[in-house]
Amino acid sequence: MDELTEIPQMTLEFFGINLVFNTQTILMTWVVMAALIGFGFLATKKIGFLPNPFQVVGELLVTVFQGLTLDALGEDLAKKYFPLICGLFMFLLLSNWLGIIPELSEPTKDLNTPLGLGIMGFCIAHYSGIKAKGFKAYVKGYTEPIIFLAPLNVIGEISKVISISFRLFGNIMGGAIIILVVSHLVYSLILPPALNLFFGLFVGTIQAFVFTMLTLVYISVQVN
Amino acid sequence: MFTDVATIIKLASFGGAGICIGLGAIGAAVGEGYTAGMANLSISHKPERSGDIMKNMLVGQAVAESAGIFALVIAIVLIFMDASSTNLLTAAALFGAGICMGFGAIGSGIGSGYPGGEACLGLSRQPSVSNRLMTNMLIGSAVCQTPAIFSMVVSLMLIFKNIGDLPLAPTWAALLGAGISTGVAAIGSGMGGGMTAGASCESIARNPETLGRVTTTMLVGQAVSQTPSIFGLLVSFILMFKTFPESSTLSAAMALLGAGICMGFGGIGPGIGNGMTAQGAVKWVSRNIEAAGELMRTMLVGQAVSQSTAIYAMVISLVLVFVV
Repeated sequence: MDELTEIPQMTLEFFGINLVFNTQTILMTWVVMAALIGFGFLATKKIGFLPNPFQVVGELLVTVFQGLTLDALGEDLAKKYFPLICGLFMFLLLSNWLGIIPELSEPTKDLNTPLGLGIMGFCIAHYSGIKAKGFKAYVKGYTEPIIFLAPLNVIGEISKVISISFRLFGNIMGGAIIILVVSHLVYSLILPPALNLFFGLFVGTIQAFVFTMLTLVYISVQVN
Repeated sequence: MFTDVATIIKLASFGGAGICIGLGAIGAAVGEGYTAGMANLSISHKPERSGDIMKNMLVGQAVAESAGIFALVIAIVLIFMDASSTNLLTAAALFGAGICMGFGAIGSGIGSGYPGGEACLGLSRQPSVSNRLMTNMLIGSAVCQTPAIFSMVVSLMLIFKNIGDLPLAPTWAALLGAGISTGVAAIGSGMGGGMTAGASCESIARNPETLGRVTTTMLVGQAVSQTPSIFGLLVSFILMFKTFPESSTLSAAMALLGAGICMGFGGIGPGIGNGMTAQGAVKWVSRNIEAAGELMRTMLVGQAVSQSTAIYAMVISLVLVFVV
């Protein structure tokens, strides 16, 4: 059961600073990126009136997320943020599904990936808030309803990053741990495929969607 | 009276198993009863569709049951595991695992009864959308199992944790606190997520055209009402994986135990409250679809305010762990 919390790491000495790389996570992220780039090529290679299967999936994703961004952000901003939102969903979906293939593991199982994406979303939301409202109105937002609550508002914003990234991490890593332990208890008979179906495909899809939607909604709360 | 370590460890694992399945049985049973009651009501509205309603009731109850099954699995593991450890800390870890899963199953069990019941009622109101209603019920009640899954993960980590030669004195409190934190905080989030899912089933039965928007609002609302249980999970992880220096004073141990209790109980209220907010928002999205964007924003702002108490609890827990 030691593999529960083990993370393969590689340490590099770089001008006196120890740089630690989680090798498996980086490798798996590259696998996901390669798969997405491959998907992009296949979907746009021969765009035609009779679409190939990849084009159908691509069109489906684009239609759904274009509608969602349009609802949340309005015409102008939706054009700007749609590629980010759609790309984020595709990356997370493939990342969460990767674990059902033997020998591969989800990059989102490592806290660093969701935390990095969460911080990215936080920065984008606040940048767009400052850009849309102006710096003065943005700062004024923190002093509402009274100025004494400003520190709590700041903590509240930071806790959004914690909750969004730990939600994804907890679900994916929890699923992986439950699959591992239950497979061990039943000697890998009968149950593991069903568990993989539920935790890998179903929970993975829902959590990818929730993470994407929350990033979108945080941007829209800042902008409006 | 109990002088040898093996006896105390056995005692802790049996006690933990009892607490685990005893508390864990509460939620699932209440939730299933609610589903069955609603199914009876809807059959009385539309007796000719009793077959479909009965099928939907059984599926809904099966999902609500899963929280109880998690508790059963942990209890069985606790009873039949032979702990060969000679460290008293194992006793604290096993007892903590039982508490964690026992409390953690309450909320999700009660919560996933709501979507089941509302879906049964919806079937009698709007029989033509039975498939979409059932899909939505399954998604909603699966998401509201997440707090119970968090509790199960923490329990399994506590059970299989490699204790090694950690100092007994404050670490026992940290392990117990880790169990209490996730377990108790999961009560509120499980119930809140269930209320939201129930409201979404009702909304779809009322106005099936709004399915997409209702499901999206439900998922976002449920995700935000899970935040208190995620804070509980965070505090549990810190308590489990931080190594504390040995200290024989009682105050160090009590600070760690207090951190777990604080985050655990502090998470109940915000979880339920956030669920109520999301419930209202989801209900009104279906009645006034044009205002869906505005409703979602208002829901998020309201939830953020009612969540601030969970944030206070987390701040105090972190202060207790890192400062005291």
